[in-house]
Amino acid sequence: MTLRDSIRRAIQRAIVYLAIIGPGLITASADNDAPGIATYSIAGSTYGYTFLWLILVITVGEVVVQEMAARMGATTGKGLADLIRERFGVRVTTLAMLCLLLANFGTTVAQFAGIAAGMELLGISRYLAVPIAALLVWLLVTRESYSRVEKFLLFLSLFSLSYVVCAFIVRPPWDVVLHQAVVPSFRFETGYVLALLATVGTTVTPWGCVYLQASIVDKGVTPQQYRYTRLDVVTGATFGNVISAFIVICTAATLFVHGTHVETAEQAALALAPLAGPGAKYLFSVGLLGASLLAASVLPLSTTYAVCEAFGWERGIDNRRQEAPVFYGLYTGLVMLSAAVVLLPGVPLFPLMWLSQALNAVLLPVLLVLMLRLANDRHLMGEYRNRRVGNVLAWGMTGLIVLITVILFAVSLSQTGANL
Amino acid sequence: MPPIFLSEIQKKPVWDTEGERVGRCVDVLVSDVGASFPRIRALALRDGDDTPRFVVAEQVGWLRPSILLTTERASLSPYEPQGDELWLARQVLDRQIVDVDGRRVVRVNDLQLARVGEHLCLVGADVGTMGLLRRLGMERPARTLFSALRAQSPEAIIPWEDVAPLQAEDPVRLRVSRERIGKLHPADIAAIVSDLNRRTGQALIEALDDETLADTLEESPSDLQVAVLNHLEPERAADVLEEMGPDEAADLLADLPEQTIRRLLELMEEEDAAGVRRLLAYPEDSAGGIMTTEFACVPEGLTAGQALDYLRQSEDAQEDEALYYVYVTEASGRLKGALSLRDLVMCEPDTPLADVTETDLVTVDLHTPQLDVAHLVARYDLLAVPVVDEEGMLHGIVTVDDAIDAFIPTAWKKRLPRFF
Repeated sequence: MTLRDSIRRAIQRAIVYLAIIGPGLITASADNDAPGIATYSIAGSTYGYTFLWLILVITVGEVVVQEMAARMGATTGKGLADLIRERFGVRVTTLAMLCLLLANFGTTVAQFAGIAAGMELLGISRYLAVPIAALLVWLLVTRESYSRVEKFLLFLSLFSLSYVVCAFIVRPPWDVVLHQAVVPSFRFETGYVLALLATVGTTVTPWGCVYLQASIVDKGVTPQQYRYTRLDVVTGATFGNVISAFIVICTAATLFVHGTHVETAEQAALALAPLAGPGAKYLFSVGLLGASLLAASVLPLSTTYAVCEAFGWERGIDNRRQEAPVFYGLYTGLVMLSAAVVLLPGVPLFPLMWLSQALNAVLLPVLLVLMLRLANDRHLMGEYRNRRVGNVLAWGMTGLIVLITVILFAVSLSQTGANL
Repeated sequence: MPPIFLSEIQKKPVWDTEGERVGRCVDVLVSDVGASFPRIRALALRDGDDTPRFVVAEQVGWLRPSILLTTERASLSPYEPQGDELWLARQVLDRQIVDVDGRRVVRVNDLQLARVGEHLCLVGADVGTMGLLRRLGMERPARTLFSALRAQSPEAIIPWEDVAPLQAEDPVRLRVSRERIGKLHPADIAAIVSDLNRRTGQALIEALDDETLADTLEESPSDLQVAVLNHLEPERAADVLEEMGPDEAADLLADLPEQTIRRLLELMEEEDAAGVRRLLAYPEDSAGGIMTTEFACVPEGLTAGQALDYLRQSEDAQEDEALYYVYVTEASGRLKGALSLRDLVMCEPDTPLADVTETDLVTVDLHTPQLDVAHLVARYDLLAVPVVDEEGMLHGIVTVDDAIDAFIPTAWKKRLPRFF
């Protein structure tokens, strides 16, 4: 083969890659949405660098789980909800969809809380900002010119990169950082275990799996093209988690050392002060807004799609309202109810953001078990079914989440008992 | 015997005449899927972990309240699956089907069985909410609730003759589906295809005959067009392109790589290919890009009767999608005027054409933007507008449907909206 031939082949390959890349990277950068930033900030500011080992572990977990979802999409050409219904019947589907709805409702609430927090930093009342945001998000279903808006929001959410820059400015003790990243530590305290769960739940999300698989089906990725998608998913998940780790490092190096435990967006914004000085507030609020609006517009819609797909209800935004009552009802309900929760008088925004992620983690194993059974189905997946390594890692991850959940209940029970 | 639902006999024990348990009913095998009432051939039973054993339908006495056989266990006649049966639980239940009467894709919540004459038959598919509730074991409380509220219970059962089962991997069933779905309007077929998961939709669309396939593609969004065309054998793709209007074919080809376009144009018949080639030269959103080159056109100097005779012989007039207007040209090809087909038919056969021809025409340039064409068509209430160059040569016409695509795209947006 001549040099020219190999260059041409390399270019062709790059074109194929660019055409297929996307879903993985996007799903992963959505890790650092409002609840994500809140959770990592709380973890870093309250417990220092001790969460870094967990981020390393869940990076592996996320890669394995996302890869599985992507492979199922490429092999079967069907969405996750579709596969669950066809393989497990109505009862299991109902359970799985209830879990998905609950988890995604919680996360949507967290996004609106992020919008509220970001706007309040700019001095705008949440009672003005949240209803407008909800209306904008809701209108997306009837408009089609939102792809440009979406790109703009995606650009805004790139702000999480500033944590990386900031971490290098602050110069944390890198030896401690490295040490904590490889040596697991653990504390039997309710707050610690909750933060642990939230960190898992904001990284490996039920909606992430569902959305990723749906976009891969929608892109029409075939099993032959799948290796490019796998590259996309693996790099995306790794990239997203590197940034998460830097958020923890940055908040630990700026806030934890001064004994500031983040409880509000204002405090969380301080982590960026070494980079942006007095502008940290604005940088943080704009970034939070972009990430939250982006996720708030994807989440309710993809949830509604999945539920309607599972139960065979008319769906799709070209159906007029009368033709798809469940679709419109569910979508409207999700958006409006999520916004309403944030508007309840006296609701603290930051806890709303990160506690919803702990709920995510508690519900995740239900979907993980179903995904694992599907991905191992010889009839469905043929030669593309799970390998042993993937199975061991995924089951290990499921077991870990269940274990942490059990510990959470045990610890909080014993602490309540001790208080009596 | 009132109808029985599959969910009522699934997993129920099967008893012989001696009152001995033969096994559990796990599936129902049906033959002759194309019939209005396909006959049940056998029940599949399982006892422990054994491979299933079969009981022929003739030896089944009752299905409700329990499944009773008409012989004792020892004298059951053996049954071997022939390979052409439909396994109701495994292949139809919980899957998507097309409701041919309602022209939509639905999911099968349950299947209705009944005795028709001597035989047990499959009579319908339950796609309603009541079917879902029955599967969840909540049919009776739900019925009580609905009757207490005096509301109609949400039932929707489709007779089997209106059902097109969709299984891409099975040629027999695909033939049944093709016969039933092929009769629908192409726009409905396109809507159904975009409701299905991509692979099934593609298999369905490719099973149609060339002409229906061409019409359906014209109504489909461009990404589906490209996917289908890429999947077809080049020879078949060329045949399908010939069946499409040259304007639609050119639009589709414009989305393909240069090499593929050349290859397909070579495979097409010269006459069709030439028309498409001419259109490909203009931008997609200009009058030249959306015009069709197949229109009714007569030379000047004829009488009305001669003109009608001329049109009957003219191949371009035969291919004219709608034939609203007849255009009159000079020998050089310059546009002289036009008249409506109505005027041509209604006047005396010996009237000179020049007497009924309108010469003061609204025309557009080859490079007029599509939006401007749409505005002209709307302002002057035209059904088509001729496209001419600087010398007044007639190149084609833009029909009203193609012009208003600028305002209302025909593409169906049923899939998960693309955000990125």
